[in-house]
Amino acid sequence: MALLEVNNLTKVFGEEQPHVVLENLSFTVEKGEFVSLLGPSGCGKTTLLSMIGGFQMPTEGSIVLDGDVIRGPSVSKGYVFQNYALFPWMTVEKNISYGLRFTDLSDKQKKERLDYLLDMAHLKGHEKKYPIQLSGGMQQRVAVARALACEPKVLLLDEPLGAVDFQMRELMQNQLDEMVRFADITVVMVTHDVAESVFMSDRVLVMSAERGEILEDVRIDLPSPHDRDCPEFEKYVEHITLLLRHAFNRTEHSLDAV
Amino acid sequence: MAGNGRNIRKNRTVKITGDNFIGILVIVVLCVCWALAARAIGKPLILPDFLETIKTFFESWLNTRVMRNLWITMRRVLTGTLYAVIVGTILGLAMGYSPKILKALSPVVNSIRQVPIMAWVPLSIVWFGLGEGPTVFLIFMSAVFPLTINTIAGIAGIDENYINAARSMGANTFAIFRDVIIPGALPDFLTGVRLAVGAGWMSVICAEFIATSAGFGYLMIEAQERLQTSRLYALMLMSAIVGFAIDRLILLLDRKLTGWRFRDGVVRG
Repeated sequence: MALLEVNNLTKVFGEEQPHVVLENLSFTVEKGEFVSLLGPSGCGKTTLLSMIGGFQMPTEGSIVLDGDVIRGPSVSKGYVFQNYALFPWMTVEKNISYGLRFTDLSDKQKKERLDYLLDMAHLKGHEKKYPIQLSGGMQQRVAVARALACEPKVLLLDEPLGAVDFQMRELMQNQLDEMVRFADITVVMVTHDVAESVFMSDRVLVMSAERGEILEDVRIDLPSPHDRDCPEFEKYVEHITLLLRHAFNRTEHSLDAV
Repeated sequence: MAGNGRNIRKNRTVKITGDNFIGILVIVVLCVCWALAARAIGKPLILPDFLETIKTFFESWLNTRVMRNLWITMRRVLTGTLYAVIVGTILGLAMGYSPKILKALSPVVNSIRQVPIMAWVPLSIVWFGLGEGPTVFLIFMSAVFPLTINTIAGIAGIDENYINAARSMGANTFAIFRDVIIPGALPDFLTGVRLAVGAGWMSVICAEFIATSAGFGYLMIEAQERLQTSRLYALMLMSAIVGFAIDRLILLLDRKLTGWRFRDGVVRG
């Protein structure tokens, strides 16, 4: 049985002038997989991730995580927001250990867990700093460590590198890839960067610009960690770019027809 | 790296000293203008001699009657502001957190706050008589709205993803209020406190002109009636300095509580 099942999912916004964002969408994610949702802006990928996170409810259909239908946010889903949403009034260690406050762990166990996360995210020595005092890369690592603190079943990444400039992007992709592989966790990531999706993922779900239709489920069959310089990597990037271009052209035509 | 840090610190010290120097220079220039203008006009009732005013100013700090009245006024400001903080915080948190409460109370709050503070004076005397009551009430009325509105703005400015993040980490509504809403709204709330205390300090002096026979405002009216213009000026200077000191104290509190907003931990204002 798959860890995450998205079943015939439909999301409509508005009542008087309904806008269908996603229609009859279905896919599954196996335990331990890294799946990227890739598509142009406005294709509904962030809405989809938000529904997996439990922040929004589907209009129709369901999302099932490890046998339980998702009905709201919970610790079983770690979420990294596009702007990281670190609490600016809390230090690095308080941000990371925030979720542990609500667990039954003893103080000693909480401390051990925090130490483990600080170590994994290479944040030792920065525990007492506030988010504003951190670089973009460090903020991202705090956000991932915080999302992993309560050992969720799935980690949800909403364009975690969306606001990062090109020069920093590859470096931060490497750091993020290292962290999630080390944590050995199931990941669903939203992105609009083709190379990023090929580098990070085991599977890329390419979505159309309209109603979130899945154009193709591309399995990235490369040895881990994926080598950006190998010819196969380029082929995957080209293939997905072409898929997106066709989808874009199709949308343009349909808009012209309207 | 260490050398670089030292340079930055050194430049900052130079800059702060430069800023202070300009501030002091402006005050000196104003004092010289005052002294020259007073000599030129030659009417102490309109503009008293600068040195005499300064002498009265320093004497006032040692005068027990002035200090007792200053304390009375300060006590009124603190009491009125405390009531305003209690009501303004509750009102602001409720209106900021719940769109329904905001919708329900917004017309009332936004109408009442348009009434000029001096228009409350006759009513406050009718309600509370002369003395402590009307002054505290007027401070409360002038302080409560900046506090309420700033608290609402503080909550409205909280990134929704902070709340979502807290929920996804297992926080319940109470924990979200304690860990996200209150600290998130704190910077705007403290700005509200600064505005509230400033408004309270200004309105108490006005209220004491009319509705009481003690306090700093009363001393001013007394000086005016006795044609002691230099004393009136000295008291006005004192009120400006006390108001400034209170504002700096709140800024210090702001720096202590919300230094996380700034890379170097320094709140400016």
